Amino acid sequence: MSLRPRTRPPAKYQNSISSVEQSSSTSRRHRPDYGVFVLTSLLLLIGLVVVYSISPALAASQHISQNYFITKQLIDVGLAVAGFFVAANLAIRRWQGLSNPLLIIALFGSVLVLVTPINELYPAHRWIRLGSFSFQIVELIKLALIVWLANFLARQWALGKLADLKATLRPLLFILLAIGIVVAKLQSDLGSAAVAIAIMGLMAFMVGIPLKKVALISVGIILLLTLAIASTGYRRDRLAAYLHPGKDCQDTSYQACQALISVGSGGIFGLGLGYGVQAYGYQPEAANDSIFAILAEKFGFVGTTMIIVLYGIFIARLKKIIQRSSDQFSRLIVVGVLAWLSTQMIINIGGMIGLLPLKGITLPLISQGGTSMVFLTVALGIVFQISRYTSYNVTQPKISQPSSTGSDYGSSDRRGFRRPYNTPTAARPRT
Amino acid sequence: MNPNLRLNSQPTIESSANRRLWLWYGILLAVLIVFGARLFYLQIVRHDYYRQQALSNQLKEYTIPATRGVIKAHEGSQIAPLVLNEKLYTLYADPVYISDSHAAASKVAAVTQADAKEYEKAMRSPKTRYVVLAKKLTEQQKKQIEALKIAGIGTQAQDYRLYPQGTLAAQILGFVNSDGQGKYGLEQAMDGTMMGTPGKLKAITDVNGAPLAASRDNIQIDPKAGKDIILTIELGMQKQLETLLKQGLDRSNSKSGSVVIIDPGSGAVKAMANWPTYDPAKYSEVTDASLFNNGAVSSPLEVGSIMKTLTTSAGLDLGVIKPDTTYFDPGHWELDAHQITNVEEISSGTHSVPDIVNLSINTGATWILMQMGGKTGEITATARDRWYDYMVNHFQLGKATGIEQGYEASGYVPDPNNGYALQLTYANTAFGQALTITPLQMAAALSSVVNGGTYYRPYLVDQIVDESGKVTVNKPKIVRSNVVSAEVGRQERLLMEYSLAQHHLRPPFSANYSVGGKTGTAQIANPNGGYYDDRYNGTYLGFVGGDKPQYVVMVRINEPKVGKYAGSSAAQPLFADIAHMLIDNFNVLPKTGP
Repeated sequence: MSLRPRTRPPAKYQNSISSVEQSSSTSRRHRPDYGVFVLTSLLLLIGLVVVYSISPALAASQHISQNYFITKQLIDVGLAVAGFFVAANLAIRRWQGLSNPLLIIALFGSVLVLVTPINELYPAHRWIRLGSFSFQIVELIKLALIVWLANFLARQWALGKLADLKATLRPLLFILLAIGIVVAKLQSDLGSAAVAIAIMGLMAFMVGIPLKKVALISVGIILLLTLAIASTGYRRDRLAAYLHPGKDCQDTSYQACQALISVGSGGIFGLGLGYGVQAYGYQPEAANDSIFAILAEKFGFVGTTMIIVLYGIFIARLKKIIQRSSDQFSRLIVVGVLAWLSTQMIINIGGMIGLLPLKGITLPLISQGGTSMVFLTVALGIVFQISRYTSYNVTQPKISQPSSTGSDYGSSDRRGFRRPYNTPTAARPRT
Repeated sequence: MNPNLRLNSQPTIESSANRRLWLWYGILLAVLIVFGARLFYLQIVRHDYYRQQALSNQLKEYTIPATRGVIKAHEGSQIAPLVLNEKLYTLYADPVYISDSHAAASKVAAVTQADAKEYEKAMRSPKTRYVVLAKKLTEQQKKQIEALKIAGIGTQAQDYRLYPQGTLAAQILGFVNSDGQGKYGLEQAMDGTMMGTPGKLKAITDVNGAPLAASRDNIQIDPKAGKDIILTIELGMQKQLETLLKQGLDRSNSKSGSVVIIDPGSGAVKAMANWPTYDPAKYSEVTDASLFNNGAVSSPLEVGSIMKTLTTSAGLDLGVIKPDTTYFDPGHWELDAHQITNVEEISSGTHSVPDIVNLSINTGATWILMQMGGKTGEITATARDRWYDYMVNHFQLGKATGIEQGYEASGYVPDPNNGYALQLTYANTAFGQALTITPLQMAAALSSVVNGGTYYRPYLVDQIVDESGKVTVNKPKIVRSNVVSAEVGRQERLLMEYSLAQHHLRPPFSANYSVGGKTGTAQIANPNGGYYDDRYNGTYLGFVGGDKPQYVVMVRINEPKVGKYAGSSAAQPLFADIAHMLIDNFNVLPKTGP
């Protein structure tokens, strides 16, 4: 550990009056965590290989060019890598400034998506389309949510108002409701809503909101989910299919059942890259949501274990960056990204192996689906940037030391955030 | 030393946040471990089960249809095709993959020259993955469709029967239905021969059932093509016969009829025509299924007086009459409290056997039957048994001939010893009532008489050619020899020649040829009992030849509306036309002696 060329935070920092920006600048820039880049690339590469191998199968059943899917995937991966590097080289404080505009764009997009016509290929209001280009708005919502929440929670944390019902919890509940209405109801995308809510919940949890309040929010989430499920017929069916698996492979549980067959028929070593059959029309969404099942069929238990281990390493890596982020905003960004990556992975794989009800969301970084891939890599690019400023030791975000009494820390004005202020000890959450 | 030490001593959120991170991290790792365990269970423990599940979906067994044998026939010294195969394509759409149904429909419709709106509607059918847009596309159209490269549009090859001769011999041929099964006629009777042996393909397929090339479990057994059939039918004769039949029916205001021409020396059917008929290429548009029947083999009738040719033959063969025997005819017989009378009043008095044939004397035919039992005025059980033996065992009536045709009827011969009013019934059989016979059975029976006593099984399949080109020629099959003696055959020919000569057919026949025949005007049974007073079928049974008969012709005209006697007014002129047609065009060898 001590050999690592990481700069220890200077001692003066401990007593300095700090803002997020100041604190991030206090850890000197160092070599980033290339592990983030390597893992991202590896997962993207695995996705490319699988999509390449099933591209002819998909093309055959849809009567389109053999190279259509792999070309699309290559373009998406190219965009994703570009997105990663742009984000990786953008100063972290720039994102703070972008938190409100991003949210506004996301909201605007959510309205736009409602007026985009739907058809057989796009049966729900989830996509904004321009010609052959289609854009899934919920991915932008996830990124905007992370940036905005990181900014908001870091400030409320710095102000010591995390437990404050009016200043912190009410906006959170409002956002929760907004996600429920916009994503779950209007876009009928319960999977993504679950991911967004998990992001929010975990960020709130990790910033240190008292557990009692977390419990309150959880009850709200459960109520929302119950409502969403009870109000939509096909969701009831899917839940029923989940609760009674293997009954039949036809109607509602067809995709889930085919997923189990894909996974189970893979065996230890799989059928081999060129020998999978399920992608030939049996497994719905073979390149997108069901890519894990296809991968399991081709590479067997060895392959799936490798994927699980890769995600495990990724999670550990992000956890380490969280631990070492010396600045609350950055730390919360990484928390949000980890929540995004891990929750989406769990919902996707859990659905494929019959442990969770099936949801139409992608397997992070591997699935085809350009929007999801690009926005997640942008988020990981931010993490990569943050990893340049981690501290040597396992640290926590420094609590600001009061130097003067602030009278207006309830203000949402960003300039107020920079101003020195007091943090009353009593307001600090105890858990 | 460590600056953090100071920090940690202060009351901050840090330790709690760290605990929360560890908690979350722990849960995530636990979930991953559960996933790993679940994958172990699914992929290793339950692998065999899911492998079976996968195979039961993916491994499909297909029959590869064998190419069906074609049907040809003689045309002079040549062999010409009657039925061929044609590979055509079915155009289908998978609505799920069609993004722009309007554009797709108009592009496809431009190739098939059909209504784009219909296609567009079909392409928008919900809840289906397969909509047939058009059938019977040509190879060229198929290529044009493929060149369009529209996602969700595809073609499927299918063999269709092609009929280069149109409707010719339709009812002899039958058709092949959309399941590839031969229906009616030859297609049905020879289905097994022409069908071939389908191949088998056991293959891993995609979800639509298309076999995947790269699969280790594939098994393929190639199909064996069906055999080709060459008919005994003479195409030129068949064509002319169909024309003559239609003309004959029109002339006598009849709606339907049949003619059979067979070679009495072999039983080979040379031509066989029915009207009305249908177009086998459009069999699916036919609404009246009875049109599919080959009436000449599947529709038996009470043949009427042409039966007297067989009655006299049997009487001569039994020796109870001679060709010049005379007898006293009372003009009517009373049997089982019913009167047997003649259609045209015959004065009671002395008549001869040639009179019975020529004047078509029912009471005379009955008299011959009485002689078989040796008792004039009564038809004894002996008489019935002997006549029954001739009808069924000699002339092969009452049982199917076994000709290569679907739905052949066997006809009906009443039992000689069981039943009501047996004498009356049997008296009726002597002149062709109270029993039913198909035109083919009748022609084959007369053939066995005029050829000198050999009953050949009537047949249509002359040669069978297998895949390798090996030809199997069907030899004439003798069902029974000594049907009658050769002398009786000669005597019966003379009786029929005499009868024909007395009827003055137009135009007259040259003395160089031997042409004989007998008319029949058959009453039609009323389903409510008895016979209709005003409905008759006209029949004619005759032969054409030189030193020996070359063709036997059976004519049937249903309910003609002309003259008094359906036989002589309707069927006989048609026979005259046919006999001339045979003499003029089909190599009837003239007599060598006087």
